[in-house]
Amino acid sequence: MKYNLNSKILSFFTSTPIMPILVVGFVAACLFVPNFASVYNQKILLLQASDLLIISCGVTFVVLNGGIDFSATSVLTLGSVVGAYIMALSPLASNPIISIPVAIAAILVIGLLVGAINGFAITVLKMPSFIATLATQLAVSGVAVLFNSSVTEKSSISGLPESFFIFGGSGKYYLVPIAIALLVWGFSYWLLKYTKFGRDIYAIGVNPRTAHISGINVKKTIFVLLVMSGLFAGIASILATARNQVGLPSLGDKMFISIMAAIIVGGTSTAGGFGGFKQTLLGVLFVTVITNIMNLLGVEWFIIMIIQGTLILLSTMFGTMFSSIWSLKAGEESK
Amino acid sequence: MKEIALKLFGIDKSYSGVKVLHGIDIEITKGEVHGLVGENGAGKSTLMNIIGGVIAKDSGYMQVFGANYEPNTPASAIDAGIAFVHQELNLFSNLTVAENMFIEAYPVGFGGAIKYKQIKQIAQKCIDEYELPVTPDIKIEELSTGVKQMIEISKALMKSPRIMIFDEPTTSLSSREKDKLLATINDLKERGITIIYISHILDDVFRLCDRISVLRDGHIIETSNTGEVTKSQVVSYMVGREMNQEYPRIDKEISEEILLEARGIRFENKVRDVSLSLHKGEIAGLYGLMGSGRTELVKTLFGVEKMDQGEVFINGRKLEKITPKTCIQNRMAFVTEDRHHEGLLLPKSVAENLIIVTLPKVTQKLGIVNRLKEKSIVEEIIKNLRIKVNNPQKQNVINLSGGNQQKVVLGKWVINKPNIFILDEPTRGVDVGAKYEIYTIIAEMAKNGAAIFIISSEMEELIGICDRILVMRDGQLSGSVAKGEYKQETIGALAL
Repeated sequence: MKYNLNSKILSFFTSTPIMPILVVGFVAACLFVPNFASVYNQKILLLQASDLLIISCGVTFVVLNGGIDFSATSVLTLGSVVGAYIMALSPLASNPIISIPVAIAAILVIGLLVGAINGFAITVLKMPSFIATLATQLAVSGVAVLFNSSVTEKSSISGLPESFFIFGGSGKYYLVPIAIALLVWGFSYWLLKYTKFGRDIYAIGVNPRTAHISGINVKKTIFVLLVMSGLFAGIASILATARNQVGLPSLGDKMFISIMAAIIVGGTSTAGGFGGFKQTLLGVLFVTVITNIMNLLGVEWFIIMIIQGTLILLSTMFGTMFSSIWSLKAGEESK
Repeated sequence: MKEIALKLFGIDKSYSGVKVLHGIDIEITKGEVHGLVGENGAGKSTLMNIIGGVIAKDSGYMQVFGANYEPNTPASAIDAGIAFVHQELNLFSNLTVAENMFIEAYPVGFGGAIKYKQIKQIAQKCIDEYELPVTPDIKIEELSTGVKQMIEISKALMKSPRIMIFDEPTTSLSSREKDKLLATINDLKERGITIIYISHILDDVFRLCDRISVLRDGHIIETSNTGEVTKSQVVSYMVGREMNQEYPRIDKEISEEILLEARGIRFENKVRDVSLSLHKGEIAGLYGLMGSGRTELVKTLFGVEKMDQGEVFINGRKLEKITPKTCIQNRMAFVTEDRHHEGLLLPKSVAENLIIVTLPKVTQKLGIVNRLKEKSIVEEIIKNLRIKVNNPQKQNVINLSGGNQQKVVLGKWVINKPNIFILDEPTRGVDVGAKYEIYTIIAEMAKNGAAIFIISSEMEELIGICDRILVMRDGQLSGSVAKGEYKQETIGALAL
């Protein structure tokens, strides 16, 4: 039994090639990058990983199902400014006991709404998810900037109640966002691996037509996943806003590339049907560690973008190499 | 001594330690039509892939017209004058007929622009030659499987090859198209082209071939002149046992009770006012030529396509919303004619494919799948249908042979114990042994009280297993023939 558990843990760490890279990179960073190993930095790292993990989980669902959700980052942004407005500037702001729950609810509703619009566009209007979510991403991001400029003259909304920062892991509460992230991740992992719903996601990702004829409600599944992705982006928005302690109309701007890097580097196929949340977890840690190292070394953000882009390119390349090995095997069909 | 067109000597091939070809020796004489028959999994496709340069042999050598032949890629085969007409269609559905015919080498003019006028003209000539019901500008996706296959054949002929290999070319052709094809092959033979003809349809092989080689479990069992063997001998070489009856005889009762009734079904202009009913315990057949609307009819019955008009009653109760899901809930099942695109999740495991329809039944609280139950159901069906698979959890369907893939499609529906079972070409591209097993499964289900509705292009197959054959022509039911009155001429006349 014990051996079994050990081998399970072992296989978890060796099943994907990024695990050893992650471990080696982490150890190297501890040794050579100043301040990387400090407790403070490790806390920061985990907090950054928390909201990236949550938002990436939502997008992973959509990717596994054969789609894409560009709009998740715009939910992050709009949620941030609307939530911050409710807590700092609105008539409710004077009473945090009311304003915080209202703000949280509003952010989550924004996520659900954007997800529902995406779902409607894809399943009813039959738009490709690529186009539909790109369109909502643009529109919602625009709304966020518009909203911000109509409620304040500054480039961000500050003056949020202190107790809200718990969700960002302020002070001794740093475990709160990490726990929320793990909860969301665990739920996603469970849903995909152990439920019929998870099986349906894989089936649709491989071949929606076969799935439909086999009695799976393809449209409903697609719709639910987009709504979930929106909701998860809303949760991430709460965490990220609380961590930054301001409402930022640029909060999600550069995040999409990190999400895709995490998903793809982890090993989930962008063609749908293959991958999962173990991969996304590792991918998120990987991307966060790399970004953190770059920040500590004072590398400019655009260099970080170049590195993330390169990572996506390389891991897609390796992914394609693996899948061509796989299709070679498929040539053995005839035996 | 006649010239040898293709000589294989001692060809071996193993996949991950499993030997699938054992020292294949074969000599194909120039200008002959050589039939290659064998069950699915006998090694035919592997052998053809080696000749075609798709996969590499382990040992042995090959000669084409006396010259050593070591193909590395499919291009080497083309250079050596070997052309293939594949079992699975290799056409681009988003391109036109003319574009598909020239896809490997477009004639180009200034700046690499394709000479569309020229390719259309040549394509039109091919179309006229085979009297295909298409124009060069029509897209492949709009054509029926039969027409697609004829285009695939015309495309191969355009390379003016010395050796042509036909892999199951007639499985999806109507009898008229088939006659045309066989005539074409004879014509090619007259012109001195050497033909290797792979097929499960022994009638065609006997009609067409000069010599027949039988492949079983990676061995050449026998090569004989067509006049010197009988069909049942060939069948026994193939399966290794004498086969006295081609169709299972299972005593069963047909009840008066109607399980499914369809009234006034209309779908575009392909199905025009079709009404029918299926009885408990009955095996009803549906015969029709390509384009008669038979596939469209069953697709609307199962809600894969939305019917424009019409009603469906199950056990006398009207089905209000017709989708695959509601049909399954009403214990219907539907084996589609296209197992790759509609029947299977090719890159997924056998187990995942088998359980997909039954998943709701093994799902507990909170939507959790009961894996133990799932595993036992999967194992049971693999045993019952004798699907050849070592590890159903790990092995992907794409790596199975055609017959085993079809058994997986059948299995995923059989598990769910359907009451009304619609099968569209259930034995297409399936070997004799597996066919018999499929017939048995179907008959057993009817015996247990299911209503079976089976579509096939092989009239003989329908005559062999059906209690009644409906015939469809031009979107309408043109007649119904009861068992005992079966005559090929009668059924054929209704379909034409």
